[in-house]
Amino acid sequence: MITLSHYIVLGAVLFCIAVAGLFINRKNVIVLLMAIELMLLAVNTNFVAFSRFLGDVSGQVFVFFILTVAAAESAIGLAILVLLFRNRSTINIAEIDSMKG
Amino acid sequence: MPTLNDILILLPEFYLVAAACVLLLLDAFMKPAQRGVLHWLSIAVLLVGIYLVVSGQPDVPVTAFGGMFVRDGVAEILKVFALLTTALVFVYARPYLVDRKLFVGEFYTLAIFAVIGVMLLVSAGNLVMVYLGLELLTLSSYALVALNRDSRLSSEAAIKYFVLGAMASGMLLYGMSMVYGATGTLALAQLHGAAAHTAMPNLLVFGLIFMIVGIGFKLGAAPFHMWIPDVYEGSPTAVTIFIGSAPKLAAFGMAYRLLDTGLGDLSHYWQPVLAVLAVLSLAIGNLVAIVQSNLKRLLAYSTISHMGYLLLGLVNAGPEGYASAMFYAISYALMGTAAFGVILALARAGFECDRIDDLKGLNHRSPWLAFLMLLVMFSLAGVPPLFGFFAKLMVLEAAIHAGMVWLAVVGAIAAIVGLYYYLRVVKVMYFDRPDEGMETRVQPDFALRAVLSVNALVLLALGLGWGPLLNWCRAVFPG
Amino acid sequence: MIDPNLFQLVCFYAFSAVTVLAALSVILLRNSVHAVLALVLTFFSTACVWLLAEAEFLAIALIVVYVGAVMVLFLFVVMMLDIKQEQVREGFIRYLPVGLVVALVMLVEMLALIGVRAMHAVSMGADPAAAAGVSNTAWLGTALYTQYLLPFEVAALILTVGVIAAVALTLRHRTGSRHQSAGQQVGIDPSRRVRVVKMAAVRAEEPEAVQEETRT
Repeated sequence: MITLSHYIVLGAVLFCIAVAGLFINRKNVIVLLMAIELMLLAVNTNFVAFSRFLGDVSGQVFVFFILTVAAAESAIGLAILVLLFRNRSTINIAEIDSMKG
Repeated sequence: MPTLNDILILLPEFYLVAAACVLLLLDAFMKPAQRGVLHWLSIAVLLVGIYLVVSGQPDVPVTAFGGMFVRDGVAEILKVFALLTTALVFVYARPYLVDRKLFVGEFYTLAIFAVIGVMLLVSAGNLVMVYLGLELLTLSSYALVALNRDSRLSSEAAIKYFVLGAMASGMLLYGMSMVYGATGTLALAQLHGAAAHTAMPNLLVFGLIFMIVGIGFKLGAAPFHMWIPDVYEGSPTAVTIFIGSAPKLAAFGMAYRLLDTGLGDLSHYWQPVLAVLAVLSLAIGNLVAIVQSNLKRLLAYSTISHMGYLLLGLVNAGPEGYASAMFYAISYALMGTAAFGVILALARAGFECDRIDDLKGLNHRSPWLAFLMLLVMFSLAGVPPLFGFFAKLMVLEAAIHAGMVWLAVVGAIAAIVGLYYYLRVVKVMYFDRPDEGMETRVQPDFALRAVLSVNALVLLALGLGWGPLLNWCRAVFPG
Repeated sequence: MIDPNLFQLVCFYAFSAVTVLAALSVILLRNSVHAVLALVLTFFSTACVWLLAEAEFLAIALIVVYVGAVMVLFLFVVMMLDIKQEQVREGFIRYLPVGLVVALVMLVEMLALIGVRAMHAVSMGADPAAAAGVSNTAWLGTALYTQYLLPFEVAALILTVGVIAAVALTLRHRTGSRHQSAGQQVGIDPSRRVRVVKMAAVRAEEPEAVQEETRT
């Protein structure tokens, strides 16, 4: 029998993989963008599971909105990435260091 | 089903959306030489928006669209100042944009869409609306930061802002999903009651922590401040000034909606966390600002410390605290706009005026502008009788009343440390000789000079007569 | 006869395993194109997991919107940008152990904090849409167009901003580039293109001159 914890653990594992991806990846911005997609996927899995568990529609509606916004977000993210590549000829994170943060 | 009444409650927002679309179309069919019309039209749109917000304000808080949207006093004040500061930004930004061939319609449309995001966010009655309002604001901001397409710094700043901002949204959402799971509702008003008797308190607190991380990122509070200096430095100054104004009001509104309206029952959990964020922001912001040589970075670190003060108000978790934090957010929005306004007034094609040394001997070159900058710096530092002083006083008082005297002491010490680097700017302007060949050409734009003067003098006026604004802020938080 | 509950559980584990492995390869693979394809696999298998939770509409939307649109956009950008493979991800090994340890510790702490054990006893309950007597899509759609009408409109605004931003950032009108203008092509006036010149008929007495004419 599938229980709530199955889904929550899956969500947590995906979330941690995404966070790990954000931190170990020092070279490629595209992988950062993909790690963010993974993070949103983890969130969505949580919402789907809770929505089913609570028998409440709001969670699934929220997932719908997250999917919509994430599509717009990645379009803008990739547009910025293309700009960056045009200006710098690299998407290597280590080389994006004109400003010391 | 929405009724006409629902639509009337949202009239300012609907109006702005329609206006933004009209401006977008106008821009597409206008000749570049006629962009000046678009500029003034955008400012008029914002001013009419202020009128609609104030004139249609109901006496008691009302909700629309089944509780999705709340129109109350808090939202009113935040919207008025968000629209006002954005109108100021438009006035200040124009000469800079024209000099750099960035005078495009997208700047105006995206900024107005961002303001609509701010308005929806501060009026949110549901976690979905918080998220969507926030994303409308941040997505527009990402694009604005990258607006200078041929600048390396600009696109670098944009990608950093994007990655960190999207990560913060992810954290916030993860927290929201946990809170939803624990309480079974997304409506903020229902969360308030549901939080007390949840079957899964661990889950709720866990979600709360993630949400605070998200809020911290959006506020730019340490240790989630990494994006602020780079974004401030890398963006075109005309965009930096925007990032530093309305979004700060939005961040306060979001924190208030989520932490008080939604999770006010858990205040004993989030108060200490916010206190830690406040101390870190005050320390990091003020200490790192000392060693900066870039004026925009200096103001960025100063922002971080100001967000620390804002958090001091929130830590109070009572009406007095919220009122003082909102008062602080408003004061910061006005001061930040004026500070960047001075930079914009001095910048010209090929010269950013973003180093502190660029201000050398400004008093000899343009005494009036130097005086305005002096007012702004003193206000940021919190020197009486300027606006910034009373704002600081209010938040420190709120922290003491919350029983956190140590926090108020940290705040006071930080103010003294902060005084040092603000005074350094003043010293450079008044006591250093200008370098050889340093010529000053203040932007000849009359509107910029006039409005900037009024903006800086208002800081003095509000410092002398801060009562009405503070009372307005206090009146909207029910005791 | 297999126990349906057991069958579901087996399916869940199978799809989850694929999801997790694919997600790991997204962040570990060296080649960006492979990483994007791994992400596509992650989305597919997650959609299957969602199907097990009877969220049919969202599962299909995930595949249509994400795999169909967003991932194709990713692939397009990855292939458009000329990324030097050998440079990418050097120094990766240095951060890998630390990153994985941190992620693992974080995962364990999160699971302990959430109290997963307590949740393990809770079954998911009946499908709420089926209980209401409608399909999942109808269930979701009813809420979306009534209770969540305002957010729905705001989502449309966000998509508009996405379009404006993407166009403002990447569209370039190159000066000096040669391209056809259909409008101009259609709108030409024939009388300005063809000039009918009256010439006196000549005999081919001067073949050299004629040849030169044709050459030019």
